[in-house]
Amino acid sequence: MRNRSLIPRLLVSTGATLLGLWSFFPIYWMVVSSFRPERDLFGTPSLIPERIDWKFASYRNLIELTDYPVQFLNSVQVAITVALVTVLISIVIAYVVTRYRVPGKMAIIGSMLYAYMFPPMLLAIPLLSIFAYIGIADHLLAVVMAHCTLSIPLGVWILWGFFQTLPFHLEEAAMVDGCSRAGAFVRVVLPLSAPGIITVAIFAFLLSWTDYIFALVLVTSDTNKTLPVGLASVLGSYDARWGELMAGATLIALPLFIIFLFLSRYFIKGLAAGALKG
Amino acid sequence: MATFRTTSDKFLLIAFAVSIGVTLLLILLPVLHAIQLSFYQRESFVSQGVWVGFDNYLSVLSTPTFWRAFGVGVEIALLSLLLQVGLGLAFALLLDQEFYGRAAVRGLAILPYLLPTVVVALAFQWLLDGSLGLFTIWAERLGFGRPTWYENPTLALSMVIVASVWTWTPFVTITLLAALQSIPKSLYEAARVDGAGPWGRFWHVTIPMLLPVLVVIVLLRGIWMFNKFDIVWLLTKGGPLAATEHLPILAYRYAFMQFDIGGGAAVATLSFAFLSTVIFIYFRIYPLGGKDIAT
Repeated sequence: MRNRSLIPRLLVSTGATLLGLWSFFPIYWMVVSSFRPERDLFGTPSLIPERIDWKFASYRNLIELTDYPVQFLNSVQVAITVALVTVLISIVIAYVVTRYRVPGKMAIIGSMLYAYMFPPMLLAIPLLSIFAYIGIADHLLAVVMAHCTLSIPLGVWILWGFFQTLPFHLEEAAMVDGCSRAGAFVRVVLPLSAPGIITVAIFAFLLSWTDYIFALVLVTSDTNKTLPVGLASVLGSYDARWGELMAGATLIALPLFIIFLFLSRYFIKGLAAGALKG
Repeated sequence: MATFRTTSDKFLLIAFAVSIGVTLLLILLPVLHAIQLSFYQRESFVSQGVWVGFDNYLSVLSTPTFWRAFGVGVEIALLSLLLQVGLGLAFALLLDQEFYGRAAVRGLAILPYLLPTVVVALAFQWLLDGSLGLFTIWAERLGFGRPTWYENPTLALSMVIVASVWTWTPFVTITLLAALQSIPKSLYEAARVDGAGPWGRFWHVTIPMLLPVLVVIVLLRGIWMFNKFDIVWLLTKGGPLAATEHLPILAYRYAFMQFDIGGGAAVATLSFAFLSTVIFIYFRIYPLGGKDIAT
């Protein structure tokens, strides 16, 4: 690197600056707009805000005047349940498929990959019909189940790749030392596959937290909506209050940014594994 | 490989059977039910359906709207795929270089991918707001007048594509960056010894080594872009004058706005059949990905 001449170095840093701007500017503008006093949103905008609204009127209005707090709680409940169910089911499926002789196991793995590519309406329309029939349409449980149709295939796929790289002789050694298979699983396999499990949990949470389609189709009452649908309907019902909308958007993104800040390693690994495999 | 023997084996087996059962119920049942619905005429999700055979398919396929939506979908998918892969490759090559603040830029480059689509849509709608949007004001200052993003078909389509490229390119960037980092340095050394310049090394080492990953990325992103409902719906609702209406939006309109659930299910089943054909042909042409799946 040291011996490289000035011009390529300059090109690289210019490119990096542009990439940073391209990726970050819309997010910056969203966050900045949520902290501006309302009158500053009208008229000529300055790139760096002259004033910050220290009373946070946009956030207050959002929390006090809309269903946002209830919907935030709905989203948290749904996303955490989806993450737990996904982790549990995909550990079992992926582990048994890699460690036992299971008839039709390639069909199972193949159909997981295939399910990745289903058109959303192919699942959303019949799911609403089924949930209406058994009487749980418009419930959070329906949303959880719908999200699992997306997250379980992803989880099985990631963990299948993960368990394959885990050498079987480690469990055998534990079993020779007197562990039962379940004991070997809990004491050896689970700790070693923690990174894979965390990755699956993150992706399941992310899928559920960001979903718009299923929640839009399945939920009709305001108090059962998840955040993305709730916020989108604020845009429809009011005369575009941009300060409040940007505050809402910032608050939806915040948990994801926090997760990313601490767990980016797993996130990047998961992306790489998911793509290399499927 | 073990066979089922001990009690804990049995316990695992039961857990496996339950898990597979739940998964099949969640995935297979809706798909079968969607196909079933496409043969019925049904006006709401609680009413009884009437068997109509292939009527839904015939009426959907005979409308120009369907073929137009199909064309719009292919256009959106191909254009955003091309831009995502092109930009993603450029970004990955850039992030593989050494420069000051690289870790920070790598982090920033992923952020758009984390955002829920609704946040992306709102951020763009705010930037492009008809009177207060920053980009609208800049366009006006540069002498373009106030662009009517939502009324001009070309602008609306471009808006959808740019927003999708912004938020989904990081997927390509990160996967390609991971692949770039796994290329052994010795290959570049060997190419250098053989007299290859920077371009030669790029074409004869980098690209062939990235190809297996690229093959999978192109398929996944292409299909996902063909299926994307939310970004289009949130930005344009398929408008103006159906200029951005693709098959997912058409299916949604049938099922939830025109009270024709059979029609919606027929559109969804048709796009499913189309995608399955594409996947099948694709893996025939590039058995490489198929081999990866079969191991």
